[in-house]
Amino acid sequence: MKIDFWGHEFRVNVALGCFLGFLMAIVSSMFGFGGGPFMIAIMTVILKLPMYVSVGSSLLAIFFNTLMGTTRHYQFGNFDLVFFLVMFPAAILGGFIAPQIAKRISPITVKRIAVVGLLLLALNLLGLY
Amino acid sequence: MKRIFLLLVITVSAAVCMLFQNGVFAEKSGGAKISIRQETPIAAQKGDQKSEMKQETGKTEAVARPSIQIDKTSLNNGGIVIVTGFAPKGKSVYLEVWSENKVRASRFDAEIDKDTGKRPYILYMTYEMPAYYKIYIPKEQKENLEKIRKEGGKWSYSTALKDLGAEVAFSVPSKIAIERYQATLMGSIIGSRGELLPQMDEKENKKRSMQLVKARFRSPGKVFSPTVEIREDGTFTAKIAIDKGLAPGKYMLRAVVDKEVKSEPVTVENTITFPHIYLTNAGTTLNIFGPFFLSLGISIFGVLMGAGGGFMLNPLLVSIWPLPHTIVAGTVMPTVLFSQGSGIYNYSKINFINWKLGVAIGLATVAGGFIGPKLTELITLEQFKFIFGLILIVLAALMLWQTTPGYLAKNQKEQGILKEFKKRAEEAARAKKG
Repeated sequence: MKIDFWGHEFRVNVALGCFLGFLMAIVSSMFGFGGGPFMIAIMTVILKLPMYVSVGSSLLAIFFNTLMGTTRHYQFGNFDLVFFLVMFPAAILGGFIAPQIAKRISPITVKRIAVVGLLLLALNLLGLY
Repeated sequence: MKRIFLLLVITVSAAVCMLFQNGVFAEKSGGAKISIRQETPIAAQKGDQKSEMKQETGKTEAVARPSIQIDKTSLNNGGIVIVTGFAPKGKSVYLEVWSENKVRASRFDAEIDKDTGKRPYILYMTYEMPAYYKIYIPKEQKENLEKIRKEGGKWSYSTALKDLGAEVAFSVPSKIAIERYQATLMGSIIGSRGELLPQMDEKENKKRSMQLVKARFRSPGKVFSPTVEIREDGTFTAKIAIDKGLAPGKYMLRAVVDKEVKSEPVTVENTITFPHIYLTNAGTTLNIFGPFFLSLGISIFGVLMGAGGGFMLNPLLVSIWPLPHTIVAGTVMPTVLFSQGSGIYNYSKINFINWKLGVAIGLATVAGGFIGPKLTELITLEQFKFIFGLILIVLAALMLWQTTPGYLAKNQKEQGILKEFKKRAEEAARAKKG
């Protein structure tokens, strides 16, 4: 499929993108996360699109997944309203505070900290320590 | 803008169609019926007991019913209740303690059946599991309980009951209504629970209820406690510790000597006050500031590192609090909807979304999102954590790659182009206004 982005044209293997997106969506809705980083990785690494095309479009692609996943979780009775009302304001507040902090620290440092944090959490979940 | 509206209309109507097909509206009314039914068994049970007991006193006057007293009748977010009582001399006394609050429990049976050698693939599900259920056993059984603890995750509740002699005390969960569904591969793919099988008989119901007790409470320490002290003259005392973070409402206690020889239940009222809140779906009481600050911190960190908070929030929530993974997954997911929506809106304003690409892959992810939530209830918490660990390792590798010099150089170039585009987009927007 050919896509057009601000006058640039890109060729994209949509079938592959759809298949990987489908697999990612199963996992992400099963475990209840958004899946943005994975979607961006699929678009930039495998579909070989530049970052600036991926950021917006990947958001749109996972929005569908989140909408469907939310509906299905609700249907299976996995949704707790009180719990949601506790976390939802916190998530929105975080969205307002974060950009203020982002101006002051380098994203690379944050990512390196995140790598360590994620690995520790992962090892804990795997029961290795 | 037209496109957005069109998209919204399509997705919403598709979702509504699917809801109808799956009979969620019908299911809901079923749920209401269940909640009404919940009231009746208790009353009926009480009636039954009374009549049973009358018969008993008629037949077996030799074995007197145990008596039971408690030192207090109200608790504030947990506490300790001292139980004293009198039972026939030389008999073991078990205390069955349960909460009147009901929660959901489910178990997917995919283990090979010993008789037929086939995997049954049946999903057992109940909405009537007591939010708290524990059998207090005599102190002498402590060693036996330790043995069961050492078995690890593979312990069996029904064998434990037998080994500890507590089978006689197990009665409340055996009467809960259990639905069972025959799951099929095709059914799971299209996301249905499968065919509802006919109700089980009493014996089968009891057996399955034991498995559900294990599925809900997980560890032997949660369902057994060797604290009943029995003296030679037949008096007994026990400390019943109702922990923090348990369901509010009535707790019933009953002393059991034999299957037919039980005391009348006594009740303790557990109240909780703000900021502790009981989550009815999860069956857990929480100090709401815990999850609030956790999700605040994680979402800030998430925005900074460029990944949604869900990756870290979900595993932390299930690790820190006794929350079922199904509830966590189902409740965290909608919280990211808003940030995604506002992101899409912002990018669409500066024309930074390729609709063709986004919708094409988006449609594939809709199919995935339809299947995923079904699978959540088929796995246990341990499997949930384990797979999540693997996912996080992949994510960590991805993040590490994003900090390598090669990636950064490439990224810098692209960021330059991105800024250039943004500038142009803003100018275009201004020109339109002007």
